[in-house]
Amino acid sequence: MRQRTLIGVVTIAALIALWFLATTVLELVSPGRFPSPPDTIAALWHVMLGGYGGGTLIEHVYFSLRLVALGFIVAIVTGVPLGLLMGWSRRAEALINPIFLIIRPIPPLAWIPLAILWLGLGDGAKILVIWFAAFVPSVINSYAGVRNIDRPTLEAAAMLGMPRFRFVTEVLLPGASPMIFTGLRLSLQASWTTLVAAELVGAFYGLGRVLNVAQQDLYPGMILVGMIAVAILGWGTTRLLGLVETRALAWNQAALAAKG
Amino acid sequence: MGRISFDDVGRVFGPSNKGVVALQDINLGVEDREFVAIVGPSGCGKTTCLRLVAGFDFPSSGTVSVDGKTVRSPGPERAVVFQQFALFPWKTVYDNIEIGLRNQGVAREQRRERIGAILDLMGLQSYAESFPHQLSGGMQQRVAIARAYVLDPDVLLMDEPFGALDAQTRVVMQEELVRLARKNPRTVLFITHAVEEAVYLADRVAIMTRAPGRIKEIMDVASVRKAENWDSYERIEEVMDLESFVHMRTHIWRSLREEKAAQPAE
Repeated sequence: MRQRTLIGVVTIAALIALWFLATTVLELVSPGRFPSPPDTIAALWHVMLGGYGGGTLIEHVYFSLRLVALGFIVAIVTGVPLGLLMGWSRRAEALINPIFLIIRPIPPLAWIPLAILWLGLGDGAKILVIWFAAFVPSVINSYAGVRNIDRPTLEAAAMLGMPRFRFVTEVLLPGASPMIFTGLRLSLQASWTTLVAAELVGAFYGLGRVLNVAQQDLYPGMILVGMIAVAILGWGTTRLLGLVETRALAWNQAALAAKG
Repeated sequence: MGRISFDDVGRVFGPSNKGVVALQDINLGVEDREFVAIVGPSGCGKTTCLRLVAGFDFPSSGTVSVDGKTVRSPGPERAVVFQQFALFPWKTVYDNIEIGLRNQGVAREQRRERIGAILDLMGLQSYAESFPHQLSGGMQQRVAIARAYVLDPDVLLMDEPFGALDAQTRVVMQEELVRLARKNPRTVLFITHAVEEAVYLADRVAIMTRAPGRIKEIMDVASVRKAENWDSYERIEEVMDLESFVHMRTHIWRSLREEKAAQPAE
């Protein structure tokens, strides 16, 4: 495990060295196409201290992070229960599945124009688009999670006289939770993708806005700063979700270890 | 109380005109606190019999009733021990055993008392806070038996409960079950394909035919057990050496072998 971490660090360090070599030292890539490390650091200072595209880096990060969190939470709070319901009730599945079949082929980003038309350039439109994108993986994986619970477990619950609410909270939810977490991870990724896209199209703040303005200003250093910021936030939030998962599914880790 | 009664029970899977007949003309009564084992070739429908009493499945014809009431749904008065244990892997041993009592609205103090007693009885005291996957198969099945017994059920339904265990563990569990059944008698319907197990544990053994499953013969073991005083032996192998046991076992084996031979050549 420690060796893996070490190799990872070495790989990243090598990539940065290569980048430095190709741009600043050997000048193989022109700075107008791809920024050098000093350009990037200069852009970073610029946006952090002076501000760029309507705010400082902290403000942009705050806006993007807040919208991702809101959109993600709205998506999972609606998506997971719906998925559980569809997994449990054939009738609900029959009712809802056709709607899904129609909506699913539409790429979430294709909703952006309509969302802006309805709700303008503010938070509402972005949350709506994130919801469209993040909702689907939550529903589908929660649904599959319920379907994956084996029959004896469900029969044991019935035999034990489980009341309906307790059945949902103490059997369906934990039983489906390994799959639910898979869905949450996909939802989180989808949230970031759609947020940046939505901010690219129209926003007053946010990392997508930084990218958009930097592109118009022909400012590659700033573009890279925006991209790195999105990458770090995406990684960080996924990591956070991973920590929650490890705690919530401690029993499952033990179960997997026992099987493996 | 806990009288199980199968009256002219049939079960057809699939469309009624060309479905697969799993059970036919099953008539069987299990008296209160009687231990009845059903043996039969695999696929004969013996597990289906148990599922009908549990309320997991329903007959296509005839009725299955417990204490005169037709079975319409699963319930804790008919506790099931599954072959694959079917414990909740996200709950500790204690919580697994407790959940049925919580569902019945038993107060916390009483729950603690009853669970403590059953943990002692099953030798699980030091595993209360373990998760099922941290335990061996035999230990997990003890938990499952505890979970069923703690409900104080009228009827205990055991579906090849030791089928997934290794031979040594199996013997230990059989001895323990006898001990438990003598100390705290229940109506038990026990499904197995292991003939020795059936003869060792049961008061009566019902032998089923191959599909469509019918009851071919019912052997009275209890009277032999009493006459030959099997219960005075502590170990299963001592009982298994007795002439009366061997005689009974051989009879059932022969009966089952006829079923195998009767298979149509394909």
